[in-house]
Amino acid sequence: MATKKKYGFVIDIARCIDCRACLVACSVENSVPMTDTRIWVYTPEIQGEFPDLTRTFIPYNCMHCENPPCVDVCVSRATYKDQENGLVLVDQEACIGCGYCVEACPYDARYLDKERGVVDKCNGCIQRVEVGLQPACVATCLGGSRMFGDLNDPDSEVSQALKNASTVMRLDFEDGKVDTDPNIYYINYAGATDPLVLPDKTLPRPPEYTLSQAGWKKVAVPLMAAAVGGAFLVQAVYFTKQLVQGESEFEE
Amino acid sequence: MSRYKSIPLEERRRLREKKYKKHNLANILTHWFNVACWLMLFPTGIAILSSPALGLSPLWLQELFRNIFGGSANLIRFHYTVGLIWIFVLTFNILIGFRRYFVPFASHRMLLDKDDIKWLKIKPLQMLGFMKDKELPPQDAYNAGQKAYMYVVILGTIGIMLSGIVMTFKTVFPPILKQVAQPIHWMSVFAIVAGLMIHVYMGAVFPEEKEAFFSMFSGKVSAWYARAHHEKWYIEKLKEEARWEDEVEAQVAEASTVPASQPTGD
Repeated sequence: MATKKKYGFVIDIARCIDCRACLVACSVENSVPMTDTRIWVYTPEIQGEFPDLTRTFIPYNCMHCENPPCVDVCVSRATYKDQENGLVLVDQEACIGCGYCVEACPYDARYLDKERGVVDKCNGCIQRVEVGLQPACVATCLGGSRMFGDLNDPDSEVSQALKNASTVMRLDFEDGKVDTDPNIYYINYAGATDPLVLPDKTLPRPPEYTLSQAGWKKVAVPLMAAAVGGAFLVQAVYFTKQLVQGESEFEE
Repeated sequence: MSRYKSIPLEERRRLREKKYKKHNLANILTHWFNVACWLMLFPTGIAILSSPALGLSPLWLQELFRNIFGGSANLIRFHYTVGLIWIFVLTFNILIGFRRYFVPFASHRMLLDKDDIKWLKIKPLQMLGFMKDKELPPQDAYNAGQKAYMYVVILGTIGIMLSGIVMTFKTVFPPILKQVAQPIHWMSVFAIVAGLMIHVYMGAVFPEEKEAFFSMFSGKVSAWYARAHHEKWYIEKLKEEARWEDEVEAQVAEASTVPASQPTGD
């Protein structure tokens, strides 16, 4: 899916101090209910032996994947990959809140808003970006860890940061079974592996397909195709026969 | 139709001209209301069902309908609205005509009897070209195939309505119900559509059943058609007619014995 622009995040891991101001800014900007959040900071266990300890913080939100599993499962096309800016967005008026996408997302970046009965997630603060502002989380980041911009544009801040980075990683799948091609790049992490492997391997997880989707699909779709196709064939045979034979007013 | 070969020409003429009422106005109106709603709901529903993981609807159709209605949300809103009207009117019709139309219809025209089972065994084989010489058992107002399809339609309609309501009122129902409602919704639809192909062809195009199509407007079929396709029902109609004739004769006889001076008070 080649999109005109390719908005994405570049996160300088060395600069994140786990203050979580981005969570607050995001919730305020997007009216996220108190019980939920669109951004998380993953904090792995402290690594190393005393006194030689290190700790890294990995902020993440929707990866705005190039191959988003959530878009494939959406039945009403409420979730879509925007062809203009490359963000994965939710049309909440078309969403019925069934939660197929919540279970399909390998990053758990979506949540069900029970009040409104719809799915909500990071939208890259597109309402701010369209008027020339940075997303709320980026504008508020104290350490300057978060950056946002067009990854297709070689002169943008994110592209420059990627070019000058000491290491570049993504939260992609290790074995390459699922290729989501995420658009959050983590830079300047000392113990770098690509793809980035979190110590306890919580993320990304393989996309889950619920019974009502995976099971039914395999059985019901061929069954229905056979029934409808068979009925159509029977009807077509008789119709052709009728056309060939012709008809008269006085047949009985 | 070998058993009708001995019927002389005059009798055939009379049978072709004589009409019996098969459908009442309630059935006709409900049928065409249902058709109108299906024509609106089916294409929009297919266009909404866009998951590439399912692969049930072509992309051009999705694009066409999203462009006509201006986006997914409007398309879904249209589908909801017409669907709710459909549910409301059908339920209302059944409730308001429950004693007068629904109960007689369900008890006289829907139940399968022995002849119907036999018909269901023979007819599919005949369509495939076997047992051509075997005579089909006489049928009611609806033949066994129509009756069987009626059950599919009734169960499917209930499935579509319930699952549709679950998906429409998204804040009321829990996500798990909304997940299960989706396959129920489209599986019910396609079960009905599979039969619908035969139903539309047999009803509107197939030459032997030509009268069935016009009877869905006028409510009437000729005696010849009734006798050839729905013999049991035809005999019932004959009995009804005979009863009516007896009644009339009795009335006339009674009226003629009354002295002319007394006023007739009826």
